[in-house]
Amino acid sequence: MAWLVVRLAISVSLLYAASAVFEDQVGKFDWRQQFIGKVRFALFDTHSQASKKLLVATDKNVFASLNSRTGDLFWRHVDKTGPEGHIDALLMYGQDAVVVVGNGRLLRSWETTVGGLKWETVLDTGSFQAAALVGVQDLVKYVAVLKKSAISLHDLSSGSQIWGENLPDSDSVQYQTIYSGENGLVFVLGIVPNSHIVIVEYKIEDGEIMNKKSVEAAWMSSLESSCAVVSSGILLCVDQITQSLYTLPLQSAEQTEMRQIHLQMLDLEVASGFRPVLTSTQPNPAQPPLSEFFLQLSPDHHILLQFKDGLIALLRDFSPSYLAAFATSGERTVAAVMSPKNDTACSINLFSADTGRKHLDTTIIYHMDPNGGKPNRLYVHAFLKKDDSVGYRVMVQTEDLTLTFLQQPGRVVWMREEALADVVTMEMVDLPFTGTQAELEGEFGKKAAIQDGLLPMVLKRLSSQFILLQAWLAHLWKLFYDARKPRSSVKHEVTIDILSRDEFNLQKMMLMVTASGKLFGIDSKSGTILWKQYLENIQPNSVFKLIVQRTTAHFPHPPQCTLLIKNKDTGLGSLYVFNPIFGKKSQISVPTLPRPVLQTLLLPVIDQDYAKVLLLIDDQYKVTAFPSTKNVLQQLQDTASSIFFYLVDSSQGKLSGFRLRKDLSTELIWEVVIPTEVQKIVAVKGKRANEHVHSQGRVMGDRSVLYKYLNPNLLAVITESTDTHQERSFVGIFLIDGVTGRIVHEAVQRKARGPVHFVHSENWVVYVYWNSKFRRNEFSVLELFEGAELYNSTVFSSLDRPHAPQVLQQSYIFPAPINTLEATLTEKGITSRHLLVGLPSGNILSLPKMFLDPRRPELVSEQSREENLIPYAPEMPIREEWFINYNQTVSRVRGIYTAPSGLESTCLVVAYGLDIYQTRVFPSKQFDVLKDDYDYILISSVLFGLFFATMISKRLAEVKLLNRAWR
Amino acid sequence: MQQMNRLLDIYVALQALFALSWCFSDAEPGPVAGSQSNGDRFKIEGRAIVPGVKTQDWISTARILVEGEEYVGFLKTDGSFAVNDVPSGSYVVEIVSPSFRFDPVRVDITSKGKMRARLVNYIKTSEVIRQPYPLQIRSSGPHMYFMKRETWGWTDFLMNPMVMMMVLPLLIIVLLPKVVNTNDPEMRKEMEQSMNMLNPNPELPDVSEFMTKLFSKGSSKSSGGNKGSRSVAPKRR
Repeated sequence: MAWLVVRLAISVSLLYAASAVFEDQVGKFDWRQQFIGKVRFALFDTHSQASKKLLVATDKNVFASLNSRTGDLFWRHVDKTGPEGHIDALLMYGQDAVVVVGNGRLLRSWETTVGGLKWETVLDTGSFQAAALVGVQDLVKYVAVLKKSAISLHDLSSGSQIWGENLPDSDSVQYQTIYSGENGLVFVLGIVPNSHIVIVEYKIEDGEIMNKKSVEAAWMSSLESSCAVVSSGILLCVDQITQSLYTLPLQSAEQTEMRQIHLQMLDLEVASGFRPVLTSTQPNPAQPPLSEFFLQLSPDHHILLQFKDGLIALLRDFSPSYLAAFATSGERTVAAVMSPKNDTACSINLFSADTGRKHLDTTIIYHMDPNGGKPNRLYVHAFLKKDDSVGYRVMVQTEDLTLTFLQQPGRVVWMREEALADVVTMEMVDLPFTGTQAELEGEFGKKAAIQDGLLPMVLKRLSSQFILLQAWLAHLWKLFYDARKPRSSVKHEVTIDILSRDEFNLQKMMLMVTASGKLFGIDSKSGTILWKQYLENIQPNSVFKLIVQRTTAHFPHPPQCTLLIKNKDTGLGSLYVFNPIFGKKSQISVPTLPRPVLQTLLLPVIDQDYAKVLLLIDDQYKVTAFPSTKNVLQQLQDTASSIFFYLVDSSQGKLSGFRLRKDLSTELIWEVVIPTEVQKIVAVKGKRANEHVHSQGRVMGDRSVLYKYLNPNLLAVITESTDTHQERSFVGIFLIDGVTGRIVHEAVQRKARGPVHFVHSENWVVYVYWNSKFRRNEFSVLELFEGAELYNSTVFSSLDRPHAPQVLQQSYIFPAPINTLEATLTEKGITSRHLLVGLPSGNILSLPKMFLDPRRPELVSEQSREENLIPYAPEMPIREEWFINYNQTVSRVRGIYTAPSGLESTCLVVAYGLDIYQTRVFPSKQFDVLKDDYDYILISSVLFGLFFATMISKRLAEVKLLNRAWR
Repeated sequence: MQQMNRLLDIYVALQALFALSWCFSDAEPGPVAGSQSNGDRFKIEGRAIVPGVKTQDWISTARILVEGEEYVGFLKTDGSFAVNDVPSGSYVVEIVSPSFRFDPVRVDITSKGKMRARLVNYIKTSEVIRQPYPLQIRSSGPHMYFMKRETWGWTDFLMNPMVMMMVLPLLIIVLLPKVVNTNDPEMRKEMEQSMNMLNPNPELPDVSEFMTKLFSKGSSKSSGGNKGSRSVAPKRR
């Protein structure tokens, strides 16, 4: 018995420790996926045949090395967001990769095997134009960087500048490209639009200008898009107006005019309105480019041409063809061309670059995703096979940012969904019941009980019990069957069909909306993408709002989600209705929204099909209901007088409240103006609709109750001062009742500035700001209480609350910067709350709300000890055990989503940013299920031990009694 | 809030006491237009050391963050680093690595480009405890992300005071009769007397006997009916 007592004592003592991860829980219920973003540059390491490296630089300012066999990351470097971390160019030579960052501000060289920096140099200011590797006598030694008005040459091994020169007449000439051939010269090409081209020759050794000439080209407006250098220093340009190609040897002194070659002579024609594109290839920077090049004449027409002895010869015409790319392995250069095969597939073929002849048996079939976008980039990795023929693999990037790596004859080696690097919003939806579960549920339906008598109900009960037994036996058999197979061969494939709700509702469907307009349905347990849907024609500046209108609880009605897509500039929006489990677009007719949408409102009112009603308010304050059946309109008329909504106009600093009228028009009932000259509204947040508060008050040390002010209509409005001087800047917070417009509380934090992150929940608001005086982040918590008595304990009404709430506030120093803030959420709200803090280091801190309690006393008293209040300390602790994602850091965490599970102790957490991390947290430990480390062996051995001990002692006692009787 | 204010007052007073020569300009550490000349931008240099670990094993996952993600730097293959393009101001420089822990350092840069490093103290923000510059940041070991599971071992169990309290009387009960000769009738009488003294209430049931009775009844089902009444008031022989 003693050890049970001991164990109980231990577990009680542990209750006070905050939730943390145990080492054996790693990967048990959490997963992370790492992303890189939209690929801008991709280079295969062709240095050695066995190399698996694929270097990529993306629009998310990420430079990474991928394993080209698996698609996993070898390493990844995440730079600053915005233009200062923007990767302008990626060049590779040998083991080193040279990257130009931040509009030509920094030049970095990376050691690609380790993933460490070799050197970094700061370049002079000036907008970046081009960069090129420069070789001298078959050896690449330098890198040249062309800026708007200067050129500099850097040593590849140390990064030191060899020379830097200002460009002549840089205010009138736009220098755009750079070229270096084999002969110790660097050519800088500039243009005066619609006038002439300027060619400047620099000597590699000391940057001396060897020659400078200008060539008439009145038709040309830009060098970059229409020109390329082919063969040994021949500038080749294309013009769609005159339908001709122009050539010019860069080096020759005598030729001062571009030679015109009409495309008609080659029987070619540029499609009207299309800007032709020239693509050449320079396999080795120390040698001149090849004389073959691609000319794209229309979106689906490429031709391979060859420049020879001043003439252009047609090698092969690819029509139709979507994409074409060169690749080199060793001495051999090939061209891969993607052409349509049928509606759903494309075929990629390999051609030798010098002849245009097709390589046999090199077709790769690329199947296009019917729910995806069109392919738009093709990267080819060519390699020499053992028999000296050229083999290849391709990476295809599509419009919806899917990277697919294929090998012959069309096997998908790996696939990455890079759209997930930019998740905008997400929701979690319960999974549906399986057929058997649904049938069992149906047994308790109202209709069934009335229709059937007693006996059929008993029979039904028995039959459903039998079905359960059958299912269980099948499950056991499967377990047994799987256990016999070696572990590696057991595939845990997750498909939509086998997914069903688990007994604690821990597994859910994650709906993710990405900035590129691609929707994903992801299994929260494994992270498998179950469905994806690319919405075409999404403007890049759209904002999204995802609304769950009908959950899975209303069988047989399918669940229903609505996505509001709104153009940020015009405010015009459209609705996309879909089934969140299968990702299928719903057939329901959607209202057209001719006017900009200002606000949406999901009402608790449901229509006859159990879908919640969504109200959309346009800029004329007219309301559109969706769904808008007669039933709904009738209900809306009945409840119109109690439907209120608010609008925020941050440009005018105006918050206004409206009430719905019976005819679906609105009336203004309140307005709060926050003068924009002094401060601007940064954010407005209400409370989450699915939040439950379990206890109405707090029991104090003297056994009295302090009731919480639980106003469901309360809005927290954060403002920042327009004056950014550190002495005068401030952050303001207003708590406004959304129905009456009454300002419940306002607070100002002086000498503070944003970015402000805040959480509004229950009866508290927690916000973080930057204290510009002391240069630190500070947390501030506001808690609202009604006092010792509740005014109206049955129902809360904003219109009838005569007493203002008591407001308590306390602030703390937080010793780290913050990216995002969110609070945990559980089913019934019994579990204590934690704050989840996303840090720039990628860790997610689970901070007990207990530490953010404005009633923390400065001096400990008997009563405060009774209440379990922690004494006030100015600095908030950060413990490493509180990092819920241990070493699985989430880069650039932008949002944290929390959802309750079926277990009261458990909250599901998804952190998204560049990466996605999913886990479960137990803020008050797992009090409602047996813990992971529950010692079954100990308990059963104790039980058996006791049993045998009693058996033995019984026998002994019998013997003893017998002996005594004989005495 | 009041507490906060009071604390702030204390810090202001402390600042006055320290009377530091605060020669650092209060440049806004916000983003400055890129058109500025190189003279106003400085470089924070240093080296990160993880004792006993090769640099190539950890540098690819580490980054240098200056004031959150305001400025970002990367580690060179030898463990040194430089964060370029930082205007004058005061910054917290931190090396973040998912595997190793580094303490942050505050770096102050004057408008002339003079650098100094000091310990980060968020409470007494103006206190200066100098650190070497260029920075030498030594890792204080791997991160301790995980809680220790309470393990169950025999030693823990045996050394527990409760168990000790149970084991010692047991030993006495078992060993004492062996030591003392119980066959001697005088001795026996004496012991019985002392036992009666110890146990003043003869009505109280003997635990061992009660247990045997209970279990013997549990196994034989015939006497299950009067089990309840007997166990409520068991008699002593």
